[in-house]
Amino acid sequence: MSRIPLPYNPKVLELFKNPKNLGKMEDATVTAVAGNPACGDMITFYLKINDQSIIEKASFESYGCAANIATSSIVTEMIKGMKLEDAWTKVTWKSVTEEVGGLPSVKFHCGILAVGALKRAIRKYCQNRGISPHWLQKELTFEEKQALEEEELAKMLAKRMKLEAEK
Amino acid sequence: MLDPYKVREDFPILKRKINNHNLIYFDNAATSQKPRQVIEAIEDFYTNHNANVHRAVHTLSQEASELYEGAHEEVAKFINAKNMAETIFVRGTTEATNLVAYAWGLRSLKRGDEVVLSLMEHHSNIVPWELLSKIIGFNVKYADVNADGTLNYEDFESKFSSKTKMACVGHVSNVNGVVNDVKHLVKVAHENGALILVDGAQSVPHLPVDVKDLDVDFLAFSGHKMLGPTGIGVLYGKEEILEKMEPFHGGGEMIKEVSFNPATGRCRITWNDLPWRFEAGTPDISGGVGLMEAVKYLKKIGMQNVKEHEEMLTEYTVKYMRECEKIKIYGPKDLSAKCGIIPFTVEDLSSHDVALFLDNCGIMIRSGLHCAQPLHQIFKLQSSARASFYIYNTREEIDRFMEVLKEITQI
Repeated sequence: MSRIPLPYNPKVLELFKNPKNLGKMEDATVTAVAGNPACGDMITFYLKINDQSIIEKASFESYGCAANIATSSIVTEMIKGMKLEDAWTKVTWKSVTEEVGGLPSVKFHCGILAVGALKRAIRKYCQNRGISPHWLQKELTFEEKQALEEEELAKMLAKRMKLEAEK
Repeated sequence: MLDPYKVREDFPILKRKINNHNLIYFDNAATSQKPRQVIEAIEDFYTNHNANVHRAVHTLSQEASELYEGAHEEVAKFINAKNMAETIFVRGTTEATNLVAYAWGLRSLKRGDEVVLSLMEHHSNIVPWELLSKIIGFNVKYADVNADGTLNYEDFESKFSSKTKMACVGHVSNVNGVVNDVKHLVKVAHENGALILVDGAQSVPHLPVDVKDLDVDFLAFSGHKMLGPTGIGVLYGKEEILEKMEPFHGGGEMIKEVSFNPATGRCRITWNDLPWRFEAGTPDISGGVGLMEAVKYLKKIGMQNVKEHEEMLTEYTVKYMRECEKIKIYGPKDLSAKCGIIPFTVEDLSSHDVALFLDNCGIMIRSGLHCAQPLHQIFKLQSSARASFYIYNTREEIDRFMEVLKEITQI
């Protein structure tokens, strides 16, 4: 037990230390990335989806902070065995944050990024299959938008960095 | 010797509790805390002397002008400038480097000319030159940094040619606290017929800096990192160079005379004397008053004492950190070439998490890239945590910091 007060609850810390479903999935049906190392967090989601549109398994790779690893881990647990429709509609950054027992407010964006990666993977899967189910809204979800925003910021930084390094 | 416990009594914010813990402020490279003397001087200005400067004959304006000019004189003496004509008040280091880039560079640099920078620069010393080079078409060359974060002096020298017109280097790195041998760099620049602008944002608050001894052409620094308020900073420039420069911003305060000539249908303008020529518009008078008080405070302590106190704290912390194998420190092994800034990482933890855990215990440090991405690229680092010290920090605070840090490594 730590002798100092901790900003993360025990569940987050446990998931950070022993994440579930960590690692690349060789037989994934679809993969999606969200974030950028320059903004601190980057996650890749791997989903195996069967013909009945059920997520058979999910895994992730994360380059980020404890909150990011914990939320990604819990997302892969939450969606295992779920129908795509349920994963899309029921898994939100709020439900994920709740599931890990809460996060410090400065870390909300880490959970948002994890859900952003999941939604991207589902959207990509539907696009690849050429299907447009009624529950898949055309406009980006809040989480996808936030992920995009963080990436744009990182891209801007990277561009400046490149400019400086090339000279 | 500096007594940090006595100093602490002057800083009201240090009595604050954060998450029920005593505040430990180790983010001094970002900004310093303010002593009550500075806070009271600003309050006194607005309570008793507030008026615009250099305009009216009335008593208040006279007092405000005297205070504001006095601030210039105080700063000039602090860095051993010839006189206050050489100390221009600006918003901060960033505005100071931009002033040099635009007021000097825009008219003095041509396509094909070269400006030498280093890869350890803060973005504020890189971006203005990159922006200007897009307009003019001069080249910017970057001197390399060694693996331990020190400047590669040989590479710096090799970047000079007959085309080099300006060199810009930081005195102290804001990422790793490395102190550059500015005297040597100035010599190299001058031997090659170039001017040199030194970014003193991290040196003027922490070391004795003497512009005559260093022989720098320009020196930029910020008030808020040296106990003063935000929004005020200084550009030192040699009088003979400033005299030849055209203004930066146009407006009130910076002109002597504007007369309309009916024959040409245009206005004829004569510039004001230095340093006012470069301070267009109503200046940050209360900021100047606060900065004057900050300088007086530092003078009373003595800059050599400030330097030695921070060296002691740095040595103490580094020794402590080296005992802990999960903590990695970046920067030179030899601490004698270093100021009180320590970049570090904790194994398996993102630097933002390290900062978050520490904050939970009332300890404020910085995490991220510290506005110096090129240097992080050299270290192959995504980001780092940074502890930086000042006059009010104590060994006791470092003991607590290390106690928490060690707990964090066990998580």
